[in-house]
Amino acid sequence: MASTAHHVDHHAASPGDAGSDHHDEHHGISHVASIKVLVGTGGSLLLLTLVTVLATKVDFGANINLAIAMAIAVLKASLVILFFMHLKYDKIFHTVVFLSAILAASLFVGFTLMDTGQYQHTNIWNPDSPPAAPVGPRPTTG
Amino acid sequence: MSEQPHAPHEGGGHGHDAHGHDDHGHGHGHGSRFIQHHYDDAQHQFDSGKLGIWLFLAQEVLFFSALFVAYILYRHHHPEIYSYAHKYLDVKYGAINTAVLIFSSLTAAWAVRAAQLGQKKLLIGCIAVTIGCALTFLGIKYIEYSHKIHEHILFGRYFDPCVSSGGVPLLTKNNECAGHKSTVEWKDGAATAGCYQDIDQDLAMPGVQADCKVEEVRIELYKPASVAAGATHDCAKVPAAIARGTGATFTFTGTCDEVMVVGDGNTVRIDQAKKVAVKGQGNTVQANAVDSFAGDASTKRVIAKGISNPQPALAGVTDADVDGDKERSREVKRTPIAAQCSERAIGHAEGHEEGHESAKQTYPCWRVGFQPAVCGRKANKEQYGVIVEYGDHEERDHSYRIDAQCKPTPKVDAPADPLAEKVQPLKVGEKALSPYHRPTTHEEHELEAAGPPPEHTNMFFTIYFAMTGLHGIHVLVGVLVFLWLLIRAMKGHFTPDYFGPIDFAALYWHIVDLIWIFLFPLLYLIH
Repeated sequence: MASTAHHVDHHAASPGDAGSDHHDEHHGISHVASIKVLVGTGGSLLLLTLVTVLATKVDFGANINLAIAMAIAVLKASLVILFFMHLKYDKIFHTVVFLSAILAASLFVGFTLMDTGQYQHTNIWNPDSPPAAPVGPRPTTG
Repeated sequence: MSEQPHAPHEGGGHGHDAHGHDDHGHGHGHGSRFIQHHYDDAQHQFDSGKLGIWLFLAQEVLFFSALFVAYILYRHHHPEIYSYAHKYLDVKYGAINTAVLIFSSLTAAWAVRAAQLGQKKLLIGCIAVTIGCALTFLGIKYIEYSHKIHEHILFGRYFDPCVSSGGVPLLTKNNECAGHKSTVEWKDGAATAGCYQDIDQDLAMPGVQADCKVEEVRIELYKPASVAAGATHDCAKVPAAIARGTGATFTFTGTCDEVMVVGDGNTVRIDQAKKVAVKGQGNTVQANAVDSFAGDASTKRVIAKGISNPQPALAGVTDADVDGDKERSREVKRTPIAAQCSERAIGHAEGHEEGHESAKQTYPCWRVGFQPAVCGRKANKEQYGVIVEYGDHEERDHSYRIDAQCKPTPKVDAPADPLAEKVQPLKVGEKALSPYHRPTTHEEHELEAAGPPPEHTNMFFTIYFAMTGLHGIHVLVGVLVFLWLLIRAMKGHFTPDYFGPIDFAALYWHIVDLIWIFLFPLLYLIH
């Protein structure tokens, strides 16, 4: 455990560091993230943003495209939570608190989707035969 | 931990604490004067604060989850709205904002590190960059929002877009879109072009697009025909007629709107009439069916149906009842407008001075229930208009309020079919290439985006503004928090044993970033 600020600074910034060593290293009060981890996380997030934009341009079908976008978003969120928010090095109880919130939110969504039948009256058309897509200027042949 | 030899808060290489009244310690032996009495030590204070911020972040997740539920439920029910409406959003702005927020998250996380290590200048720089990024985010949001306000791409009943999501000009209810779309053109106090009637909405219920059936009607103005003594008048030709004479016989065939008789001692034979008015003495009316009758007591009535049994007392006749000079109107044509069609002719431009007489005037035909306006031409005393029959079976006549003419919407050229004209020499066993081109998903979306929005598209923007608005408020709060931290950092408040506020604000900022990471693909990147 580092005893002074100067020591930690030097330790974390020294290039030859074994990264895994100082990940578990705590400053007097809390874990100090290394520059390598911070920049690596930020870079990965920017890269994943680019990937998710490009993935939209490829047609895999609406559901698969949505799944890809959500998978990338979950991955990005995990990176933010684990490294930027230090949850990987933090007390396990904070993880429990956060995951409880995610679980509760999932229950909201899950129960809402389970009884979608209760919302049918919000459709003013018959959901089995919805009206055709809005039609603009239409090709005259073909 | 308290026995650990902390560096004093002047430590870390910048010992310029100007506070002469610095009374750090309070018997606990801490470096920072911001360690409160009721905590054992700096670690205790930090851990308490950290638990507090995590509980707050959990609450934030639940807070936003309500809006995500609304989003998911609505997308589940109305996927067509999302695939249409997201094209109104510019992916470029969303992507830039995502990158800006990610970068600010990096600087916020770095600020925590700098504070932990007592790097004051780096801390100030990181906070300043974070604030700068947050302001950039808000600036881009401002650009996006103001564009939407300008184009009426708004929430609820304020959604009345000037263009389709594919950029094709639309006809809106109030025609308030300047510049690039058809607007009403006025000449001598009358609208000569453009659409200005809001007939798609049930006016009694703002924001609700009524389910309605639309019919085109054509109204003709005419004067009642004069019938000579002893003559027979066909009401199919002119539905109203006036007969003047004395002791003569008049015959009316067909269904008459109005039969007027002026004179004494006449005999009038009517097949069917909605209204009969007799002015004079001793006239006789023989009819199969009459709906209403005006005359004096000397008039003899022999009416088989309608008001015949029992015949009510006569109410007397006025000059207005037998006014044969007043113009009447009658419906000469009524055509149901198909629910879905691209364009439909509404009459020839006959005698129009613009030179292209042969061109049919067209108006875009919209989905029933979203009928922005139907316009017609006024020519030769004829009026075009529409009858809207709402889902409640109440008919509302808009035929006389509309006499403007729409500009036709721009046409999208149909892609040429490369195989249509070609003869395919086939050998036995070979399959012919099908000339039918099945449109790809992309092409279908492009076609849809050129048309008017599907019903309830306003809900997408209700959800969009609720989600991005709430997120924007969080960004704004983040700016204020980081400004406060910037001032404190410049005062040198933060030390390796007291950096909780930086850490907690950064955690809040990461959650704001996290929510945007989901909002961006859900709102901008819908496929």
